[in-house]
Amino acid sequence: MKHYLELVSVSAKHRGKQDWMTKICIILSVFLVTVIFSMADMEMRSQMAQAVKTDGSWHVAFVINEEQRALLEARPEVERTARYNALNYYLTEGYQVEGLETGICGFDREFLEMMPDVEILEGEFPENEEGAVINELTEYKLGVGIGDIVTLTTPWGAAVEYRVTGICKETVLTSKLDASIMLLNGEAISKLYKEDTGEGKEMITYVVFRPFCNIQKAVEEICSELGIEQSQVSQNVKVLMLMFQSRDPYMMTFYFVAAVLAVLVMTAGVLMITSSMNSNVARRTEFFGMMRCLGATGKQIIRFVRREAFHWCISAIPAGVLAGIVVTWALCGMLRLLSPGLFDGMPLLGISCPGLAAGIIMGYITVFLAAGKPARRAAGVSPLTAVSGNAGTVQGAKKAAKTRFFKVETALGIHHAVGSRKNFFLVTGSFAFSIILFLAFSTAIDFMYHAIVPLQPSAPDYFIYSTDDSNSIPGELAERIGEYPCVKRVFGRSREAVTLGPEESGAALTLISYDEQQFKWAEKELLEGSIKDAAEGKGLLYAYTSGEEDSLLGETVVVSYGENRLEVPVAGVLSNVPFTYGAGNNTNATEKTAVCSQDLFRELCGDSGYAMLNIQFRSEVTEEEVQELRRMAEESCGGGIAFSDKRLSNREVKGASYSLAVFLYGFLAVIALIAFFNIMNCIAMSVSARLREYGAMRAVGMTVRQLIRMVCGETITYMIWGIVFGCLFGLPLNRLLFHSLVTSRWGDAWELPGKELTVILFVMFCAVCLAVKRPARQIREMTVVDTINVEPEAGGSGYHWNIEPEAEGSVTCADPSMCGEKHRIPS
Amino acid sequence: MDNLRKVYGNGENRVEAVKGVSFSMQKGEFGAVVGVSGSGKSTLLNCIGGLDDADSGKVLINGEDIFSMGENERTVFRRQNIGFIFQSFHLIPELDVEQNIIFPLLLDYRKPDKERVEEILEVLGLQNRRKHLPGQLSGGQQQRVAIGRALIMRPALVLADEPTGNLDSQSSRDVMDLLCKASRHYRQTVLMITHNMNLTSMADRVFRVADGTLEELGGVQQ
Repeated sequence: MKHYLELVSVSAKHRGKQDWMTKICIILSVFLVTVIFSMADMEMRSQMAQAVKTDGSWHVAFVINEEQRALLEARPEVERTARYNALNYYLTEGYQVEGLETGICGFDREFLEMMPDVEILEGEFPENEEGAVINELTEYKLGVGIGDIVTLTTPWGAAVEYRVTGICKETVLTSKLDASIMLLNGEAISKLYKEDTGEGKEMITYVVFRPFCNIQKAVEEICSELGIEQSQVSQNVKVLMLMFQSRDPYMMTFYFVAAVLAVLVMTAGVLMITSSMNSNVARRTEFFGMMRCLGATGKQIIRFVRREAFHWCISAIPAGVLAGIVVTWALCGMLRLLSPGLFDGMPLLGISCPGLAAGIIMGYITVFLAAGKPARRAAGVSPLTAVSGNAGTVQGAKKAAKTRFFKVETALGIHHAVGSRKNFFLVTGSFAFSIILFLAFSTAIDFMYHAIVPLQPSAPDYFIYSTDDSNSIPGELAERIGEYPCVKRVFGRSREAVTLGPEESGAALTLISYDEQQFKWAEKELLEGSIKDAAEGKGLLYAYTSGEEDSLLGETVVVSYGENRLEVPVAGVLSNVPFTYGAGNNTNATEKTAVCSQDLFRELCGDSGYAMLNIQFRSEVTEEEVQELRRMAEESCGGGIAFSDKRLSNREVKGASYSLAVFLYGFLAVIALIAFFNIMNCIAMSVSARLREYGAMRAVGMTVRQLIRMVCGETITYMIWGIVFGCLFGLPLNRLLFHSLVTSRWGDAWELPGKELTVILFVMFCAVCLAVKRPARQIREMTVVDTINVEPEAGGSGYHWNIEPEAEGSVTCADPSMCGEKHRIPS
Repeated sequence: MDNLRKVYGNGENRVEAVKGVSFSMQKGEFGAVVGVSGSGKSTLLNCIGGLDDADSGKVLINGEDIFSMGENERTVFRRQNIGFIFQSFHLIPELDVEQNIIFPLLLDYRKPDKERVEEILEVLGLQNRRKHLPGQLSGGQQQRVAIGRALIMRPALVLADEPTGNLDSQSSRDVMDLLCKASRHYRQTVLMITHNMNLTSMADRVFRVADGTLEELGGVQQ
């Protein structure tokens, strides 16, 4: 040893277990912070990838003219721009390619980079005004290919010829609307647009700003300098939000919530480390007193404690960071496994720099800050305290335990918990923080369920509907479709506008037929009544309409269709009917809707066909199979039907909800895990610190059972107060965050988060049971002599042992003035 | 004590700390055990008190073999029949003087006899300190509390391991007086380990432990 600070590593070797507990606390805290920040980062990346996929990577769009665009492009903060315009967006304006109603989009080549959803599968983007790209559906419907000439007829009767230069993949919108589109370049659309409007009106210019630019400030400057109205500006809110560049009031609330959660996570980490450091250093007052006795100055002690802290950091922080990385990888891997294809873009072994930085910085700063106070206290220990032999055994108690109200072991246990106010607040604080964190993060789950409606099990991948809303799709078609191996399930619905009550004075009612499977799904939507009766054709199910007071449940109503009249009882009320009609959702929300069985529907309306057929595919379905099915359906019906492919949009919904759910539930799992380990570690440290005291108690007649009861008393005290503080601060915080995230947007009233509380309390209860079990076993397995003579490091310092035993089985204290007695080598 | 043996370690590290020790003491006798460091004194005391298990042999207290008892039974027996006094006191820091003294009674879920507690506090000279915590007492006072704790259950046997090891000479004399009083006045058997040969002058019998064997040096005072 060349320097007194080298004693740190020498001493650490002999204090293995005790140091490990402190290290575990540091590891857990660093792990918590690393994993949560890494997961948040990964989630941001995943959401960004999703947002870019669906909405594009552009930041702001301006409706401006060519002159303004030139000025905009010249600005230093603008990285790239792309013009865009669309004609016949709703396929109703009369733009037809070879007689097929077609949406016309035009943009500069740069737009393709901003919109990854628009992908050219074959050929290339048109270089000149004569070129055009068509989508796969147009290719299929018109039977044209690259190099062919197609003619576009405009509403004003002009015919423009284009050479097909490429085929583009279907987008979410084109699949859903079963729409034909043609893509032109910027010049071509500009020309067409000019002809359409008769003047050179502004086009949309999409802008991508340079990194690290204050986008909102830049937009303000651009608007004021170029004289652009706010109504001419639109922002890619999702992308800007993920770049922390949005000033949308809701996003600001979102950032506030994120900041609160980040601070909470950091505080939880700081609390855990501080509580462990505090007890570790405080427990070794005797050792520091002895160092003072041997001539160490206060400053040297402070340096010593800080060096010790650094020593712990060397191994604990990398371990925590590593654990955080591994768990993040595991979660990313799980996402990719759960939904291959959706998260291909997610890095499997990605490293999150913000996560690492947060873990490392929080770890180091907290350890050094946490070491400061105990170090100063250690430096202030009187050498006399150390040599008197009182330090570490009789210190800490300021008040006597209250043995009047409880049995002595319980009273001592409670006193161990509340005896040191600082320790009590740190330990209960870290318990409480687990609850606070859990309650705070659980609001994000509520948010998720509101923001992203998960895909219903009844959601079809593909549907066929009659263009005139008639029940003209034959039932045999459903049977034929069901025979396709790629089809998992096919179910149809008939629909008719009927009258509720007598024909002349009745209210309009949309009657829908369900099959057996749809009735099963409807059970989840049932508010009151019975599904069974309706499924058996003995009644109707009403769809709930807001503001309606009388549900008519149980009453018999008259339903009329033309000459036919049926008297049927109302068997139940459904919260909603989740099925849509046509490509969009054209169910009239104010219109009354009722559901009945197929047989009842036929009895009333006479139709045996369907208005819509829903198809759910198996996961391995190929594009060719879908096209084949489509051809067969077209041939069977001979027209009058349309298709909507929802696979892409379903995949997006699934992706968004999966990713958010995995990350949010991941957060909660990590918090619960941390709470679990923190409780275990706190109790283990507390027991370990008092082993010598326990030994003395056992020597004077305390049974192991009484000792365990004492540990239980201490643990339960921490837990009860932890729950009290946790609920006291966690519930208002949960309410505040719920208000910010959910109530302010969807109006749902806050309710006591009973489920969340039950989960975290259950986790804490399990942790407490296990936390007591381990020390109990430890105590039971140790003999009284082992416990009483336990190396004080477990409850004090380990410095005063001669390494070489004087006699086998015993060692003598190196400092006779302090101890001088013989001790057995602890087993 | 009959042919008591205690071995630590195995093979080359095997150390026979107590080698077939046998002796007996009568009620009210005061015995002192001396010996050099590492001779096996504390091991012997721990075995007698049932704190440690012996490898063979018997320890009979009031006719009951403590090694034939289970762990829990032995603990309760120790609580009710053996009083311990340690060199470093081992008081419960969270309990005040009075609570520390009645601690074994509390562990037995018995209501302390007020008169008995007062008597002990008076004998120990701690009436004015009854509500003090151990941290507020001197070493001598702490050891007196430890003696009070050892005597409160009126145990048959009091075992003291270097009870004066941490005390100044005046406190050491006080402690010795108290132990003698326990032996003479309360008819309790006291067995004390000490390094200090001067303290053996107050004992009825003196034993020397060397290399795990016990040898009686004879009575110093009858």
